[in-house]
Amino acid sequence: MSGGHDNHGGLNLTLHVWRQKNCEAEGHFETYALHGISEHCSFLEMLDQLNEQLLSEGREPVAFDHDCREGICGSCSLVINGQAHGPDRETATCQLHMRRFHDGQTIYVEPFRAQAFPIVRDLVCDRSAFDRIIARGGFVSVNTGSPQDANAILIPKEAADLAMDAAACIGCGACVAACPNAAAMLFVGAKISHLSLLPQGQPERRRRVLAMVEQMDKEGFGNCGNIYECEAACPKGISVENIARLNKEYLGASLTARPASEAAGGF
Amino acid sequence: MFSRFGAFLRSSIGKKSLMAVTGLLLILFLCAHVVGNLTLYADSDGAKFNAYAAQLEALGPLKLVAEVGLVALFGVHIALGMRAILENSEARPARYKDLAPKGNRTFASMSMSITGLVVLAFLVLHIVDFRLADFSEQGLAALVVERLSSPLGGTIYFVSMAFLGVHLWHAFQSAIQTLGMRHPSYAPTIALIGRALAVALAVAFASFPVLLLATGGQWPWN
Repeated sequence: MSGGHDNHGGLNLTLHVWRQKNCEAEGHFETYALHGISEHCSFLEMLDQLNEQLLSEGREPVAFDHDCREGICGSCSLVINGQAHGPDRETATCQLHMRRFHDGQTIYVEPFRAQAFPIVRDLVCDRSAFDRIIARGGFVSVNTGSPQDANAILIPKEAADLAMDAAACIGCGACVAACPNAAAMLFVGAKISHLSLLPQGQPERRRRVLAMVEQMDKEGFGNCGNIYECEAACPKGISVENIARLNKEYLGASLTARPASEAAGGF
Repeated sequence: MFSRFGAFLRSSIGKKSLMAVTGLLLILFLCAHVVGNLTLYADSDGAKFNAYAAQLEALGPLKLVAEVGLVALFGVHIALGMRAILENSEARPARYKDLAPKGNRTFASMSMSITGLVVLAFLVLHIVDFRLADFSEQGLAALVVERLSSPLGGTIYFVSMAFLGVHLWHAFQSAIQTLGMRHPSYAPTIALIGRALAVALAVAFASFPVLLLATGGQWPWN
């Protein structure tokens, strides 16, 4: 590393971190001073160092979610200075680097906040509402058997590209966290788009969107106000075009789906 | 069929769709309303404006149908808006210290509930001022001058139209998006049309109180 931009002494930071024992407990910010943080380390590595420091002082470490630390698993979260996944576009917290902060900066770290994402502890929130939405329709049913020819199902390049863009959603929940209304429309829109654009998603297309939206509403997410902060906060750059597609799919399915009793054998 | 439709109307997307449809129809109403207002500029004594008002009165039962329709449009739009405000605040009971912008929000999109509530308050005042007033002797044009030429009345009307403009700035493209229409080729044009419409409507409506305030309540075109 050329040391041109290095801060050799490291960054000195003041952290205000949300601490909360469990879902029912009252939470509060606790203030910590950190010294000599390398600007090359990630935000999560900075929190690791905070926890080392807390442990060495005999204090309780800060709980936070993480897994792959390479931006693909969707485990990490955090609202950093009021921004879901911090200040960078298309970047998950695990890939946010401390070089984005300056020496002497004060940083507020909060969990994703939504009624549908109850706080488990400190910065960890329970995002299983997303899993329950997926369980209602985020799948395709296929008969297993001998593999068919790879080109047996023709998929236009444009549909494949749009579906792939939607499938890039890692389900982290930043869209909900960044939405002033705590709506989950970008997540559900991405999942609906991903399957409804492909031939394999057609058999369950209408049933899927009706069930997933029903579950989304049941979980207590807010209503979309088309503010589009979700798109700006999404670490995968999922477009709000997917929300329009969700609206269209839901409108269409609501108008055309047959009652379950009539639709023997599926929709 | 009705249970399916009922489920649609109870869903978040169904309510939003209804809000979008009523909103778009209300924009159409505003366009018709402003054209009527502009007849105030057609002559110097308000005769054309009064004639236009008399024509509407002469519609008889049709006018009643139109008014019932408007009450329904406003009622549904307002009720759904109120409900969305409550549901959205329930969806995030614990607030952030400060939810900072990530890049896509606008002043208009963030203030839809506030601008909507101000426009609602204005709507009540406006109905009391003109729909419920008796102007059979002086004529409607004279009543407009009377109401809008007082500094307080003129300012309230002018400021309310600014709030309406901010509300509409976000409203049109938002309604189109909610109804499921978005295409990269058309989205910027739709946003532009909505904003142009917002500015045009707000400026046209606000021009009367502004002119009357500026001229101290004189017919500015005399």
